[in-house]
Amino acid sequence: MNIKEKVIEALRSVYDPELNINVVDLGLIYHVDVTEENDVNVTMTLTTPGCPLHDSITTGVRYAVQGIEETKNVDVNLVWEPAWSPEKMSPEGLRLLGR
Amino acid sequence: MVPNTIGSETNIKLPFSFIIFSLIALVLSQILLLINGQMLVDGSFRIPAIWSAAHLLVLGWALMVAMGAMYQLVPVASLTKIWNEKFGFVQFFITAIGIMFFSWMLYVSPQNASIPGILMLFGILMFLFQMFMTLRKQAKPNILTAFVGSALVCLLLTIFLGIALIYSLQTGFAAQFYQAIFKSHLLMGLTGWFTLLIFGFSYKMAPMFSLSHGFPMIHARYVYGIYMSGLVITLISFFSDNSYLLKAGFFLLFAGFSIFTWHVSIIINKRLKKKLDHSFSYALGAIGLGNLIHLAAFIALWTDHFSILIGPLVYLYLLLWIVLSIMGYLFKIVPFLWWTYKYSKEMGKKAVPALKDVMNEKVVVPFFSVFVIAVLAVFLSIIFKNILFFNIGQFILSIVFVAIALTILGVLKK
Repeated sequence: MNIKEKVIEALRSVYDPELNINVVDLGLIYHVDVTEENDVNVTMTLTTPGCPLHDSITTGVRYAVQGIEETKNVDVNLVWEPAWSPEKMSPEGLRLLGR
Repeated sequence: MVPNTIGSETNIKLPFSFIIFSLIALVLSQILLLINGQMLVDGSFRIPAIWSAAHLLVLGWALMVAMGAMYQLVPVASLTKIWNEKFGFVQFFITAIGIMFFSWMLYVSPQNASIPGILMLFGILMFLFQMFMTLRKQAKPNILTAFVGSALVCLLLTIFLGIALIYSLQTGFAAQFYQAIFKSHLLMGLTGWFTLLIFGFSYKMAPMFSLSHGFPMIHARYVYGIYMSGLVITLISFFSDNSYLLKAGFFLLFAGFSIFTWHVSIIINKRLKKKLDHSFSYALGAIGLGNLIHLAAFIALWTDHFSILIGPLVYLYLLLWIVLSIMGYLFKIVPFLWWTYKYSKEMGKKAVPALKDVMNEKVVVPFFSVFVIAVLAVFLSIIFKNILFFNIGQFILSIVFVAIALTILGVLKK
């Protein structure tokens, strides 16, 4: 398993506490970039710009990636464009919503 | 891609201070109502004990809950930090002392209520200033800003109209307008401040709690325009004593509320989350009930019984629309606040509970159902002047309120 795969696996432990679905299946993670020095840059969004769990989720993402031994600096970049849409969810995420 | 790294979470102790105080005020208001039931059944709404209980419920509970919720929701919804948190804590203590002292004075010596009234007014003005300073930093105002901003203006008017009532009572000043000021005080407080605030935050919370996507927002502009017109025309009708304007105003309020109900149903139909939480479902149900009460008030205007019906209808509006909405949302907001305080920093490090695990959702259906039935019992007992029915209904209602307050406080043990 390479570092990028490990990062994605670690992000599956970060849940949106309201929906109880992890950020990967929810389609919140747009990109994971790992540099040669093992610095990680996560580009992600939230389901709505005024999400009250804004800080909690982004901090959770940071901690989860920092928990991987090989990673060095972690940067979480929160973006609103492109906006989140249900199409970004995984089949598992949709199933958990009862869809 | 536009990066956004704005941190906007408020110190959780601030909204919690408001909410815990509000639960104590709620219990006290119910005890007062219970021991003064006979006068309420006799149609004596304007007596010191009822003034005191009503203000404890409306200011001590509902206003304080709304303030606490706004300290949490305004920064996240507008993506700005609260202007000054220390100022917020000072505002909490001044308002809390002011409300308790004011409610007590209304009970024992209403003619002297203006002294604590000024303290309370100062606290509320501090809150308005805090919100004004926070909202003005918002980069891109939206329709939610219009609803919340207008609600705050209505709150300010409610307070000044309340002060005018006390001053008129003391000095006889503007005695010929006393009735108009009293009606305006109720209109601005209930349909202005609370309804506009619940409308505004529902537009934020309904899509969030149902995970709705791809719904139109154009209806919100019509809701705002029509409901605001209804408020202004009804206000003018009170001072001009014009029954045609009153009917037009009530119709516009009903029409604005109906469009809001329709719009929320569109939002909910676009949801991704198939099964909604019970407490949120009750908050949605409160919208339908509020709409029906607006319709009932409009129909009552065309009958000869309006003066008898309007008091019980105002009671119903306060309890089944405002209180039920707030309680429904409180069951969502309090777990969120507590979760943020206790588990936010643990996320990503170890497994943390979901929000639904923090609140006991099982009690929602029985508690809220009994609440609705008890409110209807009290409403009917007031209309049919049945003291036994009133006492039973109010007793059950008080018990449910206390049980709900304890359930909410139980979150703090999770």
